[in-house]
Amino acid sequence: MASVTLSDLRKEYGDLTAVDGLSLDVDDGELLCLLGPSGCGKSTTLRMLGGLETPTDGDVHIGGDAVTDQPPYERNTSMVFQSWALFPHKSVLENVAFGLKMDGVGEDERHERAREMLDVVEMSGFADHDPTDLSGGQKQRVALARSLAIEPDVLLLDEPLSNLDKRLREQMQLELRNIHDEVETTFVHVTHDQNEAFTLADRIGIMNDGQIEQVGAPREVYDDPVSLFIEEFLGDTNLVDATVTETTETGVVADTALGTEAAIPTGDAAVAAGDELTVSFRPEELDVERADGGASDGGASITGEITDVLYRGSSVRFYVESAGEHVFFEQSVGADTDFAVGDTVAVSWDPDDLLAFAADGDRVGGGGS
Amino acid sequence: MSEVELTRERVEDALFRAGYWLLFAVIMLPIVVVFVTSFQRGEYLTFPPQEFSLRWYAQFFASAEWLSAVRDSIVIGVGASVLSTALGVTGSLAVQRSDSTLARVLPPVILLPLLLPPVVIGLTLLIYFNRVGFGNTYLTIVVAHTLWATPLVFFVMQSVFARFDWDLRDAGMDLGARPSRVFYHVVLPNVRSGVVISAVVAFIVSLQEFIMALFLKSYEVQTVPVLAWTSLQSSLTPLVSVVSAFLVAVSVLGVLVSAALMNIEWLAEQL
Repeated sequence: MASVTLSDLRKEYGDLTAVDGLSLDVDDGELLCLLGPSGCGKSTTLRMLGGLETPTDGDVHIGGDAVTDQPPYERNTSMVFQSWALFPHKSVLENVAFGLKMDGVGEDERHERAREMLDVVEMSGFADHDPTDLSGGQKQRVALARSLAIEPDVLLLDEPLSNLDKRLREQMQLELRNIHDEVETTFVHVTHDQNEAFTLADRIGIMNDGQIEQVGAPREVYDDPVSLFIEEFLGDTNLVDATVTETTETGVVADTALGTEAAIPTGDAAVAAGDELTVSFRPEELDVERADGGASDGGASITGEITDVLYRGSSVRFYVESAGEHVFFEQSVGADTDFAVGDTVAVSWDPDDLLAFAADGDRVGGGGS
Repeated sequence: MSEVELTRERVEDALFRAGYWLLFAVIMLPIVVVFVTSFQRGEYLTFPPQEFSLRWYAQFFASAEWLSAVRDSIVIGVGASVLSTALGVTGSLAVQRSDSTLARVLPPVILLPLLLPPVVIGLTLLIYFNRVGFGNTYLTIVVAHTLWATPLVFFVMQSVFARFDWDLRDAGMDLGARPSRVFYHVVLPNVRSGVVISAVVAFIVSLQEFIMALFLKSYEVQTVPVLAWTSLQSSLTPLVSVVSAFLVAVSVLGVLVSAALMNIEWLAEQL
């Protein structure tokens, strides 16, 4: 158990900057997810934490000790690899006992402790198997047991679930959470899957271009994204261009590409008439009802025709056209209202649910909702 | 595809195969001659032999001179094999997953001895060892053969390591194993057959090498090819065919051992 501090961490490969001045604190016993698209530097960051890469600049502290220049075998961190990296020439039990063997623990004791770890991950029946005979999910459990067996201060997980199919992945996410609660070790989990991050994490750190964009509890990050990148990355949403026409006491009024003016509560953010904004209309915040030909009640709604219906398993996505722009909303299959292509609907929203972003991608206002 | 084209393709294919086999036969023919003449009875090398016997084999095993040459060849072959395998494997390991200047410069430098004519290396080493007053013939020939075998081991291991899953090494270090223990416990068990094959290749290279061994030989120590050469100068007896047959047999055996090892590994991967 230990806290982790990364300060101003950089990693360059020739001309390529993989990690660009990253600072992050992970609390003792916390499960932190580093979330980001591929190539954002999250795996490199994790490998620097484990000592498998040497930072070009910056410091790594684990449990208050500077470990920046310590090789991996002197750090008490342990990594679960994306490929699981089980030793193919050793049995499952020997794999799990390997770290203890390197620590000089005697054979009887290390085998006993390895068996206990296999119990924790529910793989006790496979001790004498070859890792090459196991399924993906089983390998993943063994890799986890092997890493936990050395009782690391920090457990590092490098997308260990990404090679599993969806059902197994969701099951393992829950189990990983339970195991985390059980062993009370600090976990740093890297993933590109936002659902995985939301399911697992105490806090999420969202990375982009080698930097942390935002760190916070899942709910906090979702409700209050600091940038357009995060808003786009965390889920499908309707992004609509808008131009500020006037500023009011509570925010701005903007002329949107949907052909309607929308009031946006940006607070006292520095926005002037004429500024270009990108406004996010989240599909789950939109209210939709059949329009009876009447004009919209001014402001927070549009009227349009449904142009496309997409069945996505348990939900249905409807595209509505207004002034040449499309916005979509979703309903669960079996909801009582059932729209069809050609129907005219009124889509309305609560202005407080709109999120506005400036041309450079930063959030305008916010911090309130 | 028209029928004419199809026929043409078949004819071309057949011609290519025939040419290939002809070339193969021409290359193999001298080896066949060597084997056949080693069983002849007469005093002088003739092909095809008139009568067959094991007379020259008996003479070979009765000759103290030949047996000591066999011993010298084996001692030098084992020495060169061990030394070049150690150098080649560790050298290749050093440049894996590294983009340092050393990793870029080392492979061509290691290749260099293979590009130099053995006459040049033999002569150079002879002068050098005389200068520094180093007179152990075993060691000088081992050094010469190591110069030649190390590049071969190095490049065999380059391709072996290219298929190695380096996450395993990372996992080993991550679990607390220092580099030497990672090599012994994690890397070596997964590349073992590649190392053995390299060692066999190095041994065969040393066994066959003639020119450097000729330059560096002494009165007491000379390898089998060198003795074959000197005895050929006095008379062309079938004894030389016996010696050549043994050299070919050892090489074939080495290749078979390597092939068997590779198959075992392949089999293990299938299971």
